[in-house]
Amino acid sequence: MQISRREFGALAAAALAFRGQSAAAVEAGVFVAGQDLPANLDPAQVLDVQATQYALNAYDNLYRYEGNPAKMQPWLATDHTVSADGLTWEFKLREGVKFHDGSELTADDVVYSFQRLLAIRRAPAGPLQPILKPDSVSAPARHTVRFTLAQPFGPFFAMIPMVAIVNPRAIKPNEENGDWGAKWLASNEAGSGAYRLLPAGYVPLERADLEKYDDHFMGWSDNPHPIKRIEWRPAKVTSTRVLALLNGTLDMTDSFLPVDQVERIDKSSNAHVAKNVTMRLLVIRMNNTKPPFDNLNARKAFAHSFNYSGFIDEIVKGNAVRDPVPIPNTIWGFPKDVSGYEFDLKKAKGYFDKAMGEGAPMKRPIQMHVQQPLEQTVQAGQLFQSDLATVGIDLKLVNDTFANLTSISSKAETTPDMWIHWVSAYYLDPDNWIGQMYDSKYHGTWKASCWYSNSKVDELLRKARFTTDQEDRGPLYEQAARLVVADSPDIWIYNMVEVCGVSNRVQGFRHCPVGSGGEMRWMYLSA
Amino acid sequence: MLGFVLRRALSAIPSLFGLLVVTFLLIRIVPADPAAALAGDNATPQQIAAIRHQYGFDRPIGEQLIIYIGQVFRFNFGESQYSHRPVGLDIRQRLPATLELTFGSLLFATLVGIPIGVVAGVYHNRWPDFVLRLFSITGVAIAAFWFAIMLQLLFSMQLDWLPLRGRTGTGIVLPSEVTGSLLLDSLIAGRLDVFADALRHLVLPVATLSLGALASIARFTRAGVLETMQKDFVLYERAVGYPRWRLIWIYVLRNSVIAAVSQIGLLFGALIAGAVVVESIFDWPGIGNYTVQAILTADYKVMLAVTLLIGVIYTIVNILTDLTHGLLDPRLWEQL
Repeated sequence: MQISRREFGALAAAALAFRGQSAAAVEAGVFVAGQDLPANLDPAQVLDVQATQYALNAYDNLYRYEGNPAKMQPWLATDHTVSADGLTWEFKLREGVKFHDGSELTADDVVYSFQRLLAIRRAPAGPLQPILKPDSVSAPARHTVRFTLAQPFGPFFAMIPMVAIVNPRAIKPNEENGDWGAKWLASNEAGSGAYRLLPAGYVPLERADLEKYDDHFMGWSDNPHPIKRIEWRPAKVTSTRVLALLNGTLDMTDSFLPVDQVERIDKSSNAHVAKNVTMRLLVIRMNNTKPPFDNLNARKAFAHSFNYSGFIDEIVKGNAVRDPVPIPNTIWGFPKDVSGYEFDLKKAKGYFDKAMGEGAPMKRPIQMHVQQPLEQTVQAGQLFQSDLATVGIDLKLVNDTFANLTSISSKAETTPDMWIHWVSAYYLDPDNWIGQMYDSKYHGTWKASCWYSNSKVDELLRKARFTTDQEDRGPLYEQAARLVVADSPDIWIYNMVEVCGVSNRVQGFRHCPVGSGGEMRWMYLSA
Repeated sequence: MLGFVLRRALSAIPSLFGLLVVTFLLIRIVPADPAAALAGDNATPQQIAAIRHQYGFDRPIGEQLIIYIGQVFRFNFGESQYSHRPVGLDIRQRLPATLELTFGSLLFATLVGIPIGVVAGVYHNRWPDFVLRLFSITGVAIAAFWFAIMLQLLFSMQLDWLPLRGRTGTGIVLPSEVTGSLLLDSLIAGRLDVFADALRHLVLPVATLSLGALASIARFTRAGVLETMQKDFVLYERAVGYPRWRLIWIYVLRNSVIAAVSQIGLLFGALIAGAVVVESIFDWPGIGNYTVQAILTADYKVMLAVTLLIGVIYTIVNILTDLTHGLLDPRLWEQL
């Protein structure tokens, strides 16, 4: 077949049009975020790392955690006062703050936001519900918000950044059957944050486009070249996520990268890994209601069989710090004198024999559920499985999903023998970890899925919760932690060093344990 | 023909009903409590109980099933537990992307697989045949996940020819939706830039998804050609000097592809299932990706609706396959 010059020219032009530009081109000023999107955009309905990251960009709070170690920073509020009895809290608001529709943010909007949160009664309201009723929040002046608590509540101030302030003028016209606009806000936005959602660019869990809000109350003078538009394009598979980062079509990954991918990014010239000690604990849960885990010696046999240093040094390559208690070692209330359980198969065998002598069924196959999409949980399970085999324990690994695990752990009889998960930071108070994990009043939630029950621990945790002075609360948490560790209800492995892949063109990345560095107003893109 | 289609459509209803009931029971009979997953982090037991009641998860399973069947008969697939959006709307938004990917893959597999099969059949036990057999075995045996990553490494990372993931590049303003297919909609709107961008994004997912299908179609075509080549009419035509390739491409091929057409029908269902993996790797915003998310978040109404949808698509494709058989060989109408 002969091809004429003209035909060849036409073919070449078509090929060029098809290829057009580098396949890896990204529009200037556009930040492509690869983290997962929350299942629902309403900050009153969903509470997880993804929802926190989104809310940090689209919404504002009275106070906000910034930096690492995190510090409370006045945000919409300029300051606050608290009465001597710890019952009345007043927050002074900035004046002239505007929502994305241009209307002014006032104390009435803050009252509405808290009342809406309490009425919807989803996860973000959980920690506040015991002490806050709808009529506990009031607006004595246009820029003053008052909270009147029924009793003193230690973690109250720490929980303030969990609540995003929403615009009732955007929500109320979209309410259906008294749902507080829950259905509408699930796919829309009504905030005042540094970025605003472009509704046409939103497809649940697939994509979300946000543009810079020029009138944000903080102004932009601190960041002369801020990101103009955020294109949230979650990558479902880790390898694709990392390849996209390396070829420049994605600017940031999640913070759960497996070690091989961390090494791959470290070697790249286009991106780097931001490593930050955080407050995310990895825990293997044991269902204390099911034999043999109802036996203390049996639980200790398991606790001594996990190769903590092998896992931290070899498998996660040092991107974690051993934490032997259910409180991050970077927060007050952490008992420094507790060394926890060490890897010692001889001791494990000793406890194994004692438990057998007490009639515990140590030979029965034990199932440990791991989270298949999160490779580290599988690796931890495999390591544990091989060491337990030398002790004489038959561990079987079961692939599962977090959604299903949180679901089946609502009842003791359906909670697995063992499972593994992280506990992330939502409010920086020991109550976020030990308080919700070991107070028996939380039985039925995934955080308390070991079904541990100790009346002395309950008493200490509740006392700490209803005491306001941190000086008094710290020793209570330390004491509770010592008791919990002695009872060995779970296996506490580490406090994570978050590893987040970041493109080299991204400057100004600031990590904070709350939101895992997902607040984008500080960032800018180099040429 | 119309009677045949009606008969097949009516006979499919009990199958689809059975599929609905079995899937519902399988999803809801496991000891999971979707309310706990829905409540999220930091939820209290009281909040979980309230959600269980709100969504009717505390009602007897039979009652929940009857309510759900009633909704489906009114074409109401309920709301996603998480996004609160109607599942039907989400599916409508994502289905065109999956169909574009699946039809693209099937078209590519057919257009390439049939000629390869013919050539292999004609050159039986000679080198083109050996190459094809090797390719067929590799194509069927290779894991889509691995193949996709290899394509990404070569064409996106090394050569920088094709996009790594997604359906469009950043900053692309999409044309207004007419068919849902980005290729067709961009042509309708005269947006050749979007068409070229969409086509480039389609190449790697189609190559991955079609590999197994292509190998399978080639194998069935080859077997059909080998059988037909032994028929008397071929011997006669060759004896009278009928041009060889004309004989093969018109008469031999027509009599050889019936098995391959059946295979194409079956492959369509397999491709829809395979799209789950391919869409995840390439972040293709279709039904497969939607299903994976639904499984990971235990969004059971989405899982039910997607299973039913795949069942309906399978049924339609089976009917179309039988019709195609009849068109290729009118004698088969009598048996249908």
